[in-house]
Amino acid sequence: MTGTAPTTDRHISPAVALRGTGAAARHVCTACGGDLGPADRPWKDHARCREIALHLAGGPAYDTGEREVFLRQFCCPGCATLLDTETAMAGDPWLTDRRAG
Amino acid sequence: MDPMTFSIIRHRLFRIVDEAVITLKHVSGSAITNEGHDLMVSLYRADGSLLMGGVGFLHHLTSAAEACKAIIRRFDGDIGEGDVFLLNDPYTAALHTSDIYLVSPIHVEGRLVAWSACFVHVTDIGAVNPGGFAPQAPDIFSEGFSSPGLRLVRGGEICRDVLDTILNMVRSPEMVSLDLRSMIACNNVARDRMQALFRKYGAQTVDAACATLIEQSEQLFRARLRELPDGSWQSRQYLDVNGTTARVVLTMTKTDDRLVFDFTGSDPQSAFSINCTKWASLGGLFAPLFPLLCYDITWNEGVIRPVTMIAPEGSIVNCTRPAPVSVATVGAIQSVNNAACTTIGKMLAASDRYRDEATAVWHANHFAIFKFGRNQRGGYSIGILTETFAGAGGARSFADGVEIGGEIPNPISRMANVETVEASFPVRYLFRRRAIDSGGPGQYRGGTGGEMALVPHKAPDGGIDYVISGKGTRHPMSEGLAGGWPGAPNAYVWVHAPEGGDGAPVVASDGLAALEGDHQRVSWGVYPLRGRDALYVRWNGGGGWGDPVTRDPQAVADDVAAGLVSPGAALAIYGVALDGAGGPDAPGTERRRAAIRAERLEQEAAQ
Repeated sequence: MTGTAPTTDRHISPAVALRGTGAAARHVCTACGGDLGPADRPWKDHARCREIALHLAGGPAYDTGEREVFLRQFCCPGCATLLDTETAMAGDPWLTDRRAG
Repeated sequence: MDPMTFSIIRHRLFRIVDEAVITLKHVSGSAITNEGHDLMVSLYRADGSLLMGGVGFLHHLTSAAEACKAIIRRFDGDIGEGDVFLLNDPYTAALHTSDIYLVSPIHVEGRLVAWSACFVHVTDIGAVNPGGFAPQAPDIFSEGFSSPGLRLVRGGEICRDVLDTILNMVRSPEMVSLDLRSMIACNNVARDRMQALFRKYGAQTVDAACATLIEQSEQLFRARLRELPDGSWQSRQYLDVNGTTARVVLTMTKTDDRLVFDFTGSDPQSAFSINCTKWASLGGLFAPLFPLLCYDITWNEGVIRPVTMIAPEGSIVNCTRPAPVSVATVGAIQSVNNAACTTIGKMLAASDRYRDEATAVWHANHFAIFKFGRNQRGGYSIGILTETFAGAGGARSFADGVEIGGEIPNPISRMANVETVEASFPVRYLFRRRAIDSGGPGQYRGGTGGEMALVPHKAPDGGIDYVISGKGTRHPMSEGLAGGWPGAPNAYVWVHAPEGGDGAPVVASDGLAALEGDHQRVSWGVYPLRGRDALYVRWNGGGGWGDPVTRDPQAVADDVAAGLVSPGAALAIYGVALDGAGGPDAPGTERRRAAIRAERLEQEAAQ
């Protein structure tokens, strides 16, 4: 699914929106319209996730000496836009943002 | 009520708070109050409900309301004109013991009509560690004097026995006395102006205006909530202390005109003093809520009504007595601030109408370093490094964050001049400046935090000591939005000078790298700053907004030229290659950004 997001999209964030209604509603990337899965599932399940140790991701300013802290980057599988980031300890669940309706 | 009279009374209430704040600052002799603005003044109705939230640390607005209510319960039938009550027990209403509330009843013609309340972080509270933040305290009993409510002033006369008892339990009693007197003066001004307002317009009219003001705020806030999308947004904060890590987890759900902040999933209360009580958590979530969602609505009880908080008992955000809480304000409370800022920011960013009101997290990690020891005049000094209030702005949908731009929970926070600190303590700054690569990368970059280094100077004892409550050195805490990165985390380094040298380094223009000696990370406890050693501190930048590889390459080049972003970060994170003149190399940038995007697509689907 590609194309410019229509104005009827309901944003979850500036980068991710819900398109369509009811059982047909899908998450989409607002940059390219790429599909990010059904509305009843977390959109991050359908993104590409890079989980990089913080000290490797951000250079010296982020090197705390700790090796168990990660920067998660969730990217659009279509256009590679970075949709969301999280800092996390290994194994901690992803944060989930949902839009009602 | 005619709208003109209502408007005049409303504005008069604002001005009363302003004048009381000025009084507090002018009477106080403490840098944490009159330089850092670690203070709050607000007005409350006769039943203790918030009438007019003032400036300063906003997480006190709701807690001071509870303090008023606790005093009403305790002294029911014995609250007289000219009385002033003190409360600083965190399990009753306060945030931590060193943030003392003084609440004053306001009477008109013998009738209790309102309350004024204020706080400052007093110079000392008699905790196990000087300054009030007590990283070595195992419980509340080690965190200093703590009162669920006592009368400090009766009928305009200070209760000397009570005051002397308090001063007998603290270090630097002369400064604590001044702290308390500044608050008494502040409340006296608020009381006098409120009485004048009541006399001019009549109790019935002012009461009606106050009730209308609260009703108006509730209606306006509920209307704003209805304009925002329904949904739920999550945030998580990590606090590391002494090798342990605690989580504050928040799910904020907005439905129609109601907001629920649910901290279920947060970790159990800690053995360390980063915990906070439920009143502190409530204040913590309102601190960003007031300015982010109610920037044009009077901050009062009406804003509180549509909000529900769920904070599991026994958790780090609703600890049970006698858990230690002295570091709460820079511990769990600040993480509640940050988490609420993130979820509110996410909700605003999901709204086409309000997206530009959203912000990534500002300065998310206070460092609370209290210096103490004999000063260059032979006296004894205790005081905070007010750089902890300097902060950094979070990025927004249309602009970078403000460099060293303060913080959301305290819109008037600031730091003291270097000279102010050097005049009070036997130390010298080697440098204090913006910290490179500290702002969270993004299409719009988070504001930079700062860095500084101190050495002893003309210290009669060869130096001083300091208490550091620096949780969060392993985790970035200023979360980004919409793909923006978090700001870089704090760092604290004890630089052990090499043997055999003489004199402290005069300058260190190259920053930490130029400070010779062994570099030891410190974050929690009491440490010396003596001899030729140095203390280096870097504080976090604000969170970024949007994908860093979509940032204008010229903006990145400008950041590099300004020393805010390193060439390495420009290339690795922003994908911007620079030419020999320091400008963006367009072909190189295009190649690098394509490579970054390709790396992203090489990942497996997340699940």
